[in-house]
Amino acid sequence: MKFMGYRRPDGRVGVRNYLAVIPSVFCANKTVERIAAAVPGAVALRHPVGCAQVGLDLELTARTLKAMACHPNVGAVLVIGLGCERFPSQELYEAAVENGKPAAHLIIQEEGGTTNTVARGIELAKSLKAQVDAMKREPCDVSELIIATKCGGTDATSGLAANPAVGNMVDRIVAEGGSGILSELNELLGTEDMLARRAVSPEVAKKIYTAVGEIEDLLKKSRDTGLGENRNELISPGNFAGGVSSVVEKALGGVHKSGTSPIVDVLQYATAPEKGRHGLFLMDYESHDGEVVTGMIGCGAQIVAFTTGRGNPTGHPLAPVVKVTGNYKTYAHMQENFDFDASGIIQKGDTVEETGARLFEQVLRIANGEEMTTAEKIGGDELFCIGRRHGYHLPDEFRMSCGE
Amino acid sequence: MLRRSMMIFPEDSVAMVLEDAQKGDVIETPRGRVELLEDVEFAHKVAVVPLKKGDPVIKYREEIGYMLADAPVGTWIHNHNMGCDRGKV
Repeated sequence: MKFMGYRRPDGRVGVRNYLAVIPSVFCANKTVERIAAAVPGAVALRHPVGCAQVGLDLELTARTLKAMACHPNVGAVLVIGLGCERFPSQELYEAAVENGKPAAHLIIQEEGGTTNTVARGIELAKSLKAQVDAMKREPCDVSELIIATKCGGTDATSGLAANPAVGNMVDRIVAEGGSGILSELNELLGTEDMLARRAVSPEVAKKIYTAVGEIEDLLKKSRDTGLGENRNELISPGNFAGGVSSVVEKALGGVHKSGTSPIVDVLQYATAPEKGRHGLFLMDYESHDGEVVTGMIGCGAQIVAFTTGRGNPTGHPLAPVVKVTGNYKTYAHMQENFDFDASGIIQKGDTVEETGARLFEQVLRIANGEEMTTAEKIGGDELFCIGRRHGYHLPDEFRMSCGE
Repeated sequence: MLRRSMMIFPEDSVAMVLEDAQKGDVIETPRGRVELLEDVEFAHKVAVVPLKKGDPVIKYREEIGYMLADAPVGTWIHNHNMGCDRGKV
């Protein structure tokens, strides 16, 4: 099965064709914003890091920013650095160039300040945008698609309708040879046996147990203050209000969004699967909406399927985020923030099968660029957040592998 | 008044009401007719079998927690009367 996508020099396929303006450090955020605002179709990737970090945190920042610059939904890249940051903007620029993207690079301290950099940046951005606009969609195989899955603002309808519908859509993508990613491992506590049974090999099953077990241990160890006693559960007030009573109930509902395909591997944060490897993946990370979505996009996901029972307006600057709900009340109340209503499964007896088929068709229209998601129309970009581990007092033995 | 409800598996010990329901309302479940002992909001759970303190609460054929108190059929089951030790820090 085919869809119309952008074939990139690295062989991957994009569903959008952005000019990404990326600061290597937060000090360049406003400059980046002003450049992007002056060039229609350019997106700014604001973030709060890039300096004063060490070890794994700095590595995650570097890895994530490079993954964004090399992402298949990006046609061209303009990197803006300050000049003295620990993550050198030159390294980000070189990653984009090596990936085959048309790219340019400015350093605020060398250009002589904000105004000069913005003026020069707009010129460069306009010229890159012309190159981006000349790129054309071509027929690409659905097996090139990677769908990230995420729940945010879960209620009890998520596990009944929205997640099963997304799971069915992911099964259809995988059946076409494509891929899906499930993550938020701290929200999967209680489902590790079910997930391990779906692993393609005992090695992958072991990786699943290790990843979920480490997250649970880290959470237990991270409580280092008596403050915030009643804020410290892995479940939010909105989850409770929506009828979800425990993290295990939430997990059993959440795991449905991965469908029923075998789990082929456990991926590291913002790290692409082995070349040629397709199917359903787990990504090792916790559930902060922005950080986990950015990590899965960093793994190469071009589209995000996001289920919410309570309603959620967020989007990502580099990927369409398809909002799905199973709650008819929330859908009626916040329609401008939804792309797909799965509540018929609860309200009208629609089957998961037919609902998933409808969602699959819509995802292909979104991949083709025939349809923009509500988050894209609103300009939602809140989900671009870079993963961090310092909040978890990461013990040495749990250090993520930062190889490559 | 008869209210719409759903059980994910017939072996589960709870059903979900599919519309806001009041005390005295009734739901039909694979485990029989259940009269609600209190008001229950849309998508919240109701015991369809008598539950004793310490009993597991079963949904999706899995244990989602355990009872903190006895609950006769028709009791609203939520975090006020159901506990779970996982995911706590």
